Amino acid sequence: MAIKMETRNQVPIRIVEDKVLRFSKGERISHWVHAISFFVLLFTGLGVLSTFFQPAMTILGGIHVARVIHRISALFFVVVVGLMFFIGNPRYHWRWIKFVFNFTKSDWQHVSAFPKEFFGGHGAYPEQEKYNGGEKINSLITIFGTVFITLSGIVMWWAPFFPVGLVRWAYPVHDLSMFLMTAAAIGHIYLGLLHPDSKAAMSGMLNGYVSKEFARAHHSAWYNRLKEEQKKSIKS
Amino acid sequence: MTRKMVLIDTSKCTGCKACSVACKEWNELPAEKTKLVTSYQTQKDFTTKTWTYMTFIEKYENQKMDFLMRKAQCFHCANPACMKACSSQAITKTVLGYVLIDHDKCIGCGYCVENCPFGVPKLDPIKKKSYKCTGCIDRVENDLKPACVHTCQPGALQFGERDVLLTQAKKRLAEVQKTHPKAQLYGEKEMGGTTFLYLLLDSPDVYGLPVNPTIPLSLTLWKDVIRPVGGLAVGGAAAAVVIGVFANLLKGNYHSNKEKVGNDPSSINKGGKD
Repeated sequence: MAIKMETRNQVPIRIVEDKVLRFSKGERISHWVHAISFFVLLFTGLGVLSTFFQPAMTILGGIHVARVIHRISALFFVVVVGLMFFIGNPRYHWRWIKFVFNFTKSDWQHVSAFPKEFFGGHGAYPEQEKYNGGEKINSLITIFGTVFITLSGIVMWWAPFFPVGLVRWAYPVHDLSMFLMTAAAIGHIYLGLLHPDSKAAMSGMLNGYVSKEFARAHHSAWYNRLKEEQKKSIKS
Repeated sequence: MTRKMVLIDTSKCTGCKACSVACKEWNELPAEKTKLVTSYQTQKDFTTKTWTYMTFIEKYENQKMDFLMRKAQCFHCANPACMKACSSQAITKTVLGYVLIDHDKCIGCGYCVENCPFGVPKLDPIKKKSYKCTGCIDRVENDLKPACVHTCQPGALQFGERDVLLTQAKKRLAEVQKTHPKAQLYGEKEMGGTTFLYLLLDSPDVYGLPVNPTIPLSLTLWKDVIRPVGGLAVGGAAAAVVIGVFANLLKGNYHSNKEKVGNDPSSINKGGKD
């Protein structure tokens, strides 16, 4: 059963009235499945991370229940999001990958100016495409973090079937990925919910559209490209 | 109370396996189905119900066969990798030099199982607890010898104060080396010095023991580097967000943003024409 997407097999009209389509339905499903399962995984993993958090596991019915929930949400985290790269209309998932692995000079300039923005100032950086330097870094942390936490998690889940040397290294890899993704997620949530300038991006992950004003102010290179593309497609 | 020691003098061992029977009896561990591993060895590895067993290495030299016999059990390290790996602070070290698992705290994560350089603890997947030799702490704390030591007929197992017994072991080693030049003590310095210490007749690798047992590098990196640095990274991110919110509040960015939103419709209408 393929999930119906509004962008299926056609070039969507990206700019509609005063709004710009930023994320397809598939991308939004992936994002939220990944986000929710990440936090379930994080919470259920805390009991094994430290005895400090072990009492909190009673909410779920004890640490052994937490460990089962951890494994179930891992399936959503990996399998559902993984499948989104292959079912429905996965074109936009692959385009995202293509975007974020193309790290340019303009991205570096954005990243070096970004701390100022983060704390409420205004940094100077060139016009940004669909993803700016900071968003690319967040995406890269998510991609590599997910790959490494998944591979190490598989080894830990079926530890008796793997060589002991590999299992020993899986633990630090699993923890390192978790710390990186958690730190990134904290910044990501701040920018999406609390940061006065960038929280306008949130609607892009809810209904797919961001305001034209936001697109022009934060991703003018992207906005201008879409405008050109749309002009051409309407003419032809 | 000072540190205790059990000396396992393999030169005196006859391979009768009474120690493994005594262990089962005292600790109320049920017998398990076994099968021959070599001509004399019936147990291949530790299990949750077998905390000590005999290994028999058949050594051929000058067309003669010699048994190298060793009673295997937890070493009770002074520097235990299992304790460092434990996720639940369930493994502790006593002043007597005993390394113990508290089964009320153990959650069965298996980190000790994977990190012990000797492969001693074993996980019960049903009970979700890790099991290993207790060194008969319940006997020792009541002035009894460990069950295995108590039962040993040829006197291959001795129990006492570590300092005293170590001196005795060195004297005995000098004696044994006259007939077995490769004989050595194992556990004097290994893993910070082990409570169960061996007098081996040959080098450790002949017995299948690690020559230089250490705390795995991955474990040190994990607990001493990644955990504190990762914690700082997450804490740093949270602190940056708090500072960010306050900086934006002070600069009045939330306020001015609302005004901008109020002006939005007109600007968007203008943009909507193209």
